[in-house]
Amino acid sequence: MSVFRLSRREKALTRIAPITEKPHTDRRMRIAILRAKRRTVTATQFAHQQAFDRAVSALVQAIPVSTEIADWFRNEKLIPQKKRSWKKAARNPVVLSIALALAVIAGVFVLGVMERMSDFPGSKTARKLLTVAASTRGNQLDPVQTEAGALSDFFFMKFRLEHYDVPPEFAALQTAGCRVFDDEEAGRVAQISVSEKRMQFFLFPAERNVKDGKPREFEGWRYVEQEGWAGAVQMRAGVIFMACLRGEQKDLEPYVGAAKP
Amino acid sequence: MTGHAAKAQEVFQATLREAALRAAHDQPPKDRLWFFRDARWRCLIVAEQGLQAESGHLEGTEIAPHAAAQIGHLHPEQLAVWISAAPDPQRSALAAYYLDEFSLREMLTLLEVKAGELSVLVSSGRRQFQAWLDATTPHYEDEA
Repeated sequence: MSVFRLSRREKALTRIAPITEKPHTDRRMRIAILRAKRRTVTATQFAHQQAFDRAVSALVQAIPVSTEIADWFRNEKLIPQKKRSWKKAARNPVVLSIALALAVIAGVFVLGVMERMSDFPGSKTARKLLTVAASTRGNQLDPVQTEAGALSDFFFMKFRLEHYDVPPEFAALQTAGCRVFDDEEAGRVAQISVSEKRMQFFLFPAERNVKDGKPREFEGWRYVEQEGWAGAVQMRAGVIFMACLRGEQKDLEPYVGAAKP
Repeated sequence: MTGHAAKAQEVFQATLREAALRAAHDQPPKDRLWFFRDARWRCLIVAEQGLQAESGHLEGTEIAPHAAAQIGHLHPEQLAVWISAAPDPQRSALAAYYLDEFSLREMLTLLEVKAGELSVLVSSGRRQFQAWLDATTPHYEDEA
């Protein structure tokens, strides 16, 4: 069936097509008119009908109106025009689509701004290491059972990693395993797993300023979140420490006390 | 609708009086269609009181390509008389449609008919008017 074929309903609509173009013509009517104009068979009949209607309408407009009645209609506010309500306008699919698109754009923009606001030097690497934490299995780490704070000497002695110190807030926690690996972005990363809440610690070099080569510093504790994992991050002596667990920021807050959000 | 200027004016004034009365009682007409709806019923009542057109079936013909030229020969009063002689709701449908004032939705509300019914009323009126035109204002090829 041709897309331009007129249904019975559309034929009925074309018989009462608007004589002159009106701003709020129904969509079905517009489609019916379009199809009638496109089909060779109906196009001629429709053209005759429109010419007929225009001629009759012109004659109707020429029907004399008494001056008394004409005077009434000089006041344009005599018959209030029905305004299109905002509710009706809001239900228009076009308006709905635009509103939805704007809402999505605004959402993405706000999300971007919020992420920017919570960014700090090394936050990108910290987020990446959260995904590493999520995918790490217990057998990937060398079993080490000691206090987390005691591993600083181990890292220095075995791997020559200076200042890879676990902060005092987490130093007393018992470890289950650890490892050191190289990451393209983070450099040499020390990973420690602790028994409590299946928490993991990461130690890695801080980002360095391209101009002077000095570590880019930030104060206090910062938080990062990624795919259901949360991390509390601190920088000391050019090394970043991150404690992370599966959960939210509020699960880490008791450990770091009144850390800066 | 009435085919008579004086009767139309009478209806118009009565509608305005009714609107003013409603406004005075804090119940003004809610929209512009109220005016047309009220005037329509008053026209029908007025028309029932006067001389009635003979009822009968009018033959219809296809719309002619030269119909616009034929209509151009008519006086507005002739058209008014023809429409006012049509039976209602065809009379109201033709009047509302050729006023070219309303959207389809407004016409359906005003006339209280469905789109299919309105289509039949207008198209049959159109064909009948064409037949009447052919009878009263014949078109000759050399006029074109």
